[in-house]
Amino acid sequence: MKFDSIIIGGGLTGLTCALTLAKAGQRTALITAGQSTLHFHSGSVDLLGYDEQGQTVLHPLDAIRALSASHPYHKVDDVAARAEEAARLLADAGLLMDGTTDRNHFRLSPMGVSKPAWLTLNGLVRSAEEDSLPWRTVTFANIRGFLDIPTEFLVDNIRRKGTDVEVKSFTTPELEQARRSPSEMRATNVGKVLADETALRRMVEAIDGLEADGEVILLPAVLGVADARAESSLRQLVDRPIRFVVTMPPSMPGVRLQTCLRQAYQQLGGMYCASDAVTGGCFEAGRLRYVTTENMPDERFYADHFVLATGSFQSRGLMSNYRGVFEPVFGLDVDAADDRGAWTAEYVYDDQPYMRFGVRTDERLLVSRNGVRVDNLYASGSVLSGHNALKLADGSGVDMLTALQAAHNILKK
Amino acid sequence: MHRDRQKEYDVIIIGGGITGAGTARDCAMRGLKVLLVEKYDLTNGATGRNHGLLHSGARYAVTDGESASECIKENMILRRIARHCVDETDGLFITLPEDDLAYQATFVASCRKAGIRADIISPEEARRMEPAVNPALIGAVRVPDASIDPFRLTTANVIDARRHGADMLTYHEAVGFVVENGCVRGVRLRDNHTGDVFETRSRVVINAAGIWGHLVAKMAGVQVNMFPAKGTLLIFGHRVNGMVINRCRKPANADILVPDDTVCVIGTTSDRVPFDTIDHLKVTPEEVDILIREGEKLAPDLAGTRVLRAYAGVRPLVAADNDPSGRSISRGIVLLDHETRDGLAGLITITGGKMMTYRMMAEVATDLACRKLGVDKPCLTAVTPLPGSEKPVDKGHTSHRAAEYSTHAQEGRHGTMARTINADSIETRALVCECEDVTVGEVQFAVDKLHVHNLINLRRRTRMGMGTCQGELCACRGANVLCRTARVEPAAAERDLAAFMAERWKGARPVAWGDALGEAQLTATIYEGLCGLNRLCGDGKEIAL
Repeated sequence: MKFDSIIIGGGLTGLTCALTLAKAGQRTALITAGQSTLHFHSGSVDLLGYDEQGQTVLHPLDAIRALSASHPYHKVDDVAARAEEAARLLADAGLLMDGTTDRNHFRLSPMGVSKPAWLTLNGLVRSAEEDSLPWRTVTFANIRGFLDIPTEFLVDNIRRKGTDVEVKSFTTPELEQARRSPSEMRATNVGKVLADETALRRMVEAIDGLEADGEVILLPAVLGVADARAESSLRQLVDRPIRFVVTMPPSMPGVRLQTCLRQAYQQLGGMYCASDAVTGGCFEAGRLRYVTTENMPDERFYADHFVLATGSFQSRGLMSNYRGVFEPVFGLDVDAADDRGAWTAEYVYDDQPYMRFGVRTDERLLVSRNGVRVDNLYASGSVLSGHNALKLADGSGVDMLTALQAAHNILKK
Repeated sequence: MHRDRQKEYDVIIIGGGITGAGTARDCAMRGLKVLLVEKYDLTNGATGRNHGLLHSGARYAVTDGESASECIKENMILRRIARHCVDETDGLFITLPEDDLAYQATFVASCRKAGIRADIISPEEARRMEPAVNPALIGAVRVPDASIDPFRLTTANVIDARRHGADMLTYHEAVGFVVENGCVRGVRLRDNHTGDVFETRSRVVINAAGIWGHLVAKMAGVQVNMFPAKGTLLIFGHRVNGMVINRCRKPANADILVPDDTVCVIGTTSDRVPFDTIDHLKVTPEEVDILIREGEKLAPDLAGTRVLRAYAGVRPLVAADNDPSGRSISRGIVLLDHETRDGLAGLITITGGKMMTYRMMAEVATDLACRKLGVDKPCLTAVTPLPGSEKPVDKGHTSHRAAEYSTHAQEGRHGTMARTINADSIETRALVCECEDVTVGEVQFAVDKLHVHNLINLRRRTRMGMGTCQGELCACRGANVLCRTARVEPAAAERDLAAFMAERWKGARPVAWGDALGEAQLTATIYEGLCGLNRLCGDGKEIAL
C-alpha cells in the first residue's frame, strides 16, 4: 500500500497530525494500537501552565519564549499561529472549547485543584482565577455509589476557594442496574448506560428532585462518548445551570476528544488502522521506505513521509530495560541518561529526569538513527525529548503544536 | 484512649511486629492485663519485610540444627492454628549443574535428624511438580515449606489479644522508661501523630521491638548487642511458581523464591548496615542485580516477568561473633531476663528467632513474665486456632454471584471473619481495588476491626494497592472511603494519599525500568497531571510509615 504520509500513533498527537494532512488533501494512514493517554485526559488543552521555576503562568505565549533551549516548542516556527490552528481544528471536529492564548484560565481537577489551561471543553468547570470559582454556592450531585470522583477532596478544595458546597446524590433505575456488577461503575460505562433518551430523562427528573440550593449544579463528567449532545440536553432540561467535573480515569471528555478527532479524520477519507502496531521498517539512503505491521505481516506500507507519534513510556513509545532507554519501533536515537541511577529522583513528586527522555530530533523534528538523520521520518508529541510535561503542564500543547508543525514541515516539502 | 493512661497494666509489650502481637495474645490468654504499643503501624518492621516463608527448617538443617527443629515444630503448629494465613505449597531444594550434588545427601540426612520430611525426587519429577523450575536442575528434594502471610498472621494475633482484653496503641512510641528503685514500672509513650508524651505504668515490660529492641534496651540503660543485617527482596508481578524453590547448597544470597498470594518474592541479600539507617533502608542497584541474576537461576521465567517493587528489612540478630555477613549466627531465640542479667527488674527482652517462630518466642517470654508476676497458667497458643482459622471456611455462604470473587478474596484474607463483612448493599459491594478485589464493605470492616487509620494500614490489612497497578486508582478511592468510614479530615487524607504514593514509588524506584517505569509514569500522569495531588501535600516530601 502506498500513502503520502503514514502516522504511527493514535493519541492527540497522531490524530492532530493525520487530520491536518488529510485536510490538506494528502492520502494518509494512521496506525494505532488502540488506547492512548487521552483516556486520562482532563478535557482541557494546555499550552504552558507553569514556568520552569514552578510558578503559575498567566500569559503562556510570553512564558514560552523563556523556556530552556531543549523545549520542543522551540521547534515550532510560530507558536501563536499554530495555537490558533489547533483551536480551529478542535472546533471543526465538533469540540466546542473555551479559552484564548492571551491568558490562561483554570480548570478544576477531580480533586478540586485549579490547574492552568488554555482551552477547556465547554461545560466543564473553569474559572478566571486560581484561588476562586465564579460562584458563591454550588451543589455537587454525585451518582450514588460512584467512587471514581474523590468527592471528599473535591468538596473540601472547592470550599477552600470560598465557595459553599452542598453535597447531594442521586440514582436512576438504569444506574441501579449498572451497579449490580461492582466493576461497572466507571465513567465510560456509566456514560453508555445514560446514552438513551429515557435514561437521560430519568436522570433529569432525579436531579430536579434534589431541590438543589447551589447557584449551579456540578456533576461528574460521565455523559457523551462521541459528542456533547447528552450534556446539552441535560443542561437544557434541568432548571438550574449545570457544569461538569472530570472524573478519575477513564475520562469521558478525553474519550470524546479521541472519538471526535478520529471521526473528523475518517470523514475526510483518512485510513485508520486500529488495534495494529508497526513492527519495523525498511530504511534506504537515509529515508524510511515502508513499514510493516503486526496484523498484516506480508503487507508493506509505503509513504513519502512518516510521523512517529507513539508517546512516552506509559504509551510504550519509549521503552526501557535493565540496561537502557530505547525507541522500540525503529531503534531511533534517544536523549536519555545511560546510568539507571540517573533516571529517577527520590521523592515521587520531585522533577523526575525520565520525564525529559525521548527521541532526539533536529530543528525540523526529523529523527536520527545511529547518528544519521532520517530525511522523511518526523517525531511529535510525548515521544519527544526535552521537557517535563507534568511540571510544566504543557503536554497537550506540545502534542498538538508539534503535530501541526510536523504536518507543515511535510506539506512544505 | 485517654482512659488507658490511668490504668496499670501487668505487662506492656513494645513492638507491633509478629513477636509483639504473639506475645500480647499469649499474655492476654493467660489472664494478664496487657498493653501492646507500636511506634508506627503493625508489621512495619521486619515482619512486613521478609519472604512470607513458612520455613520447614530445611534451610537451616545443615548449619543450625536447633533452629531447624524449632522451625518444623512451629511449621506444623501454624498450619493448624493459622490455616487462613498459610498456603500449603511445599518446597523444592534444587541442585543446579554449578552446585555440588554431594551436598544433597548431607542435606537430607540433616533434615531427617531435625525431624523434617525430605524426599529426594528426580529432576523429571521436579519439573512436573513445578513447571517454573530451572529445567537444567540435576537434583531435587521435596520438603514441607509453605507460604504464610505475615500481615494476616499479625492481625489475627492482635484481634485475639484484644478479644482477651488486651489494649493496643499504634503510632505510639516508647521514648523512655519509668524506673523506681531499680525496677522498671512503666513506659513513657509519645503519640507520633500529636507529639503528646505520657506515662503508662505496668509491673513488667517486654521488649519485642525486633532490631529496634537494641535501642529500647539502651533507653533502659542495658546493652543488648544486636546485629542489623539488611535483607533485600524483589516482588514479581505474578505468581510464577507454585512451590517454594530453594537452592540445595549452603545458604547464600537470593536463593529462595516464594509464591505469595498473587505474586512471588525472591530474596534475600544480607549485609551489615549501621543502626542509623534502619528506619529508612534504601535498596541499591547492586542488590537488585544480584537478586535478578540469582532468581533467574531458580526460575528462568522471572527474566520475562515484571518486577513490581523492591523492599528491605533488617534481621534482628543478636551478635555473637564478628561474622560480617551475619549468616553463620544462630537464628535461635534469645530471651533475656534483665533482672538476672543486668540487675534491672521488670524488663524482659525477646529477640532473635524468625517470623515463623514467633509463637514459640511469645511462649517463652510469657512464661518468664508469668513467673515474675506469680501467675501459673499454661500456654494454650499452640492448640487454640487464631480468629479466622477456627475451622475451614465453608464455601457458598453468599448468594450474591457478582460479589463471588471479592468474597473468595476476603475469605482468603480474613478466614471465617470474612462473614462479618457487610455485603448487604450495592454500595458495600462496590470495588475499591480491582486487582485485589477489595470492597467498600471490607474497608469498613478493616476500619472497625483491624486498626486502620490510613492507606498504608489498609494496604497491609487488605492488600489494597498491592496488585499489579500498585495503587493506580484504588489509592484515591480508598482515601475517600476512609474519609467517610474512619472520619479522616479531607486535608489529612490528601496528605496521606500523597505519602502513600510516595511509599509506593520508594519501592518501585529501584526497579523502575520496563513496564514498571511506564506504570509509574502513568500513575504520575493521573495523580500529578490530571489531579494535581502534588499541590495538596505540602513540601514535607512525606513517605508513609
